[in-house]
Amino acid sequence: MADRGNVESLVVLQSIAVDTGSPDRVGMLVIANGLLVAVLVRLDAPEHERRGSWYMEVRLGRLAKVRPPVFETLEDATRWVRKRFRENAS
Amino acid sequence: MRDALTRKLESFEELSDADRAALRALVPRLRQVPARTDLIQEGDVPSHVHLILDGYACRYKVLPDGQRQIMAFFVPGDFCDLNVFILDQMDHSIGTISPCKTVEIPRHAIEEITAHHPQVTRALMWCALVDEAVLREWLVNIGSRQADQRIAHLFCELLLRLEAVGRVTDNSYAFPFTQTDVADTMGLSDVQVSRTLRELRGLNLITLKHRILTILDVERLRAYCGFNPNYLHLRNARWSGRRQVPWLSSVRGE
Repeated sequence: MADRGNVESLVVLQSIAVDTGSPDRVGMLVIANGLLVAVLVRLDAPEHERRGSWYMEVRLGRLAKVRPPVFETLEDATRWVRKRFRENAS
Repeated sequence: MRDALTRKLESFEELSDADRAALRALVPRLRQVPARTDLIQEGDVPSHVHLILDGYACRYKVLPDGQRQIMAFFVPGDFCDLNVFILDQMDHSIGTISPCKTVEIPRHAIEEITAHHPQVTRALMWCALVDEAVLREWLVNIGSRQADQRIAHLFCELLLRLEAVGRVTDNSYAFPFTQTDVADTMGLSDVQVSRTLRELRGLNLITLKHRILTILDVERLRAYCGFNPNYLHLRNARWSGRRQVPWLSSVRGE
């Protein structure tokens, strides 16, 4: 196992513009332990029920196996990613 | 006025006055069911056939992680499952989307009407065939069409199904489904549904206001998603020619 249960994954966000075919274009690359694992996009279009929240537009690897919620904040998203990695490592 | 059931069956088969009277006799056990209420749940023993006379319902399953998948929409005139009383246990649930007028038809009433009214029986067989065909089309939808086409396809299908039972006015019909309902039906996320609706609006194909869906340009919406109504087998519906029944033509020597 690459991750041990007692070692917290290092999750880094990196700002990026994303083409979603909609006004939602403010994005973040989610990098865990040096690997790209997800892309978050902020919901800016007025039609969204949870405008201003963060949607996991793309999920890769182990994150692809779970259904993510829409996150209120980037901190919530980062916490969720860390938790998924912790669960998977044990 | 003809009720939704009679209208629907007549879109498959010509019925006699006696057939229509027998169908009306099914309807007295009317039940008002609020929105978002289960008519029957997975695991229950089904004893009646549910018929929707007014309102919308759906067939669904819930996965262990809480995710819901909707497998069918029921509109006025639809049986939730004609042969359900043969089952010993429901393998899925049926719940209302909007407030519904439903009828619980006991098993013997179905057996009675099918024994004495062959045209009704044939029409009911059509219903079952079309339900299966719709399910096939939804499988194609989820497996092979893009998000925007999937939703456009659903709008076209509902237009024809609702038109067949007199629930469409000026290309508008009631659309009580939430974004989550559509997402759970189409295998999409709420966000994808919201973006797709925005795109369809932006293309001036639809409007959706106060839970009324209006298709602004039916032909363009149809072309947009490559909608072919053949699987609905409706007589006299727009885009449908006369239904082809090859074996019948050969018997008649046409």
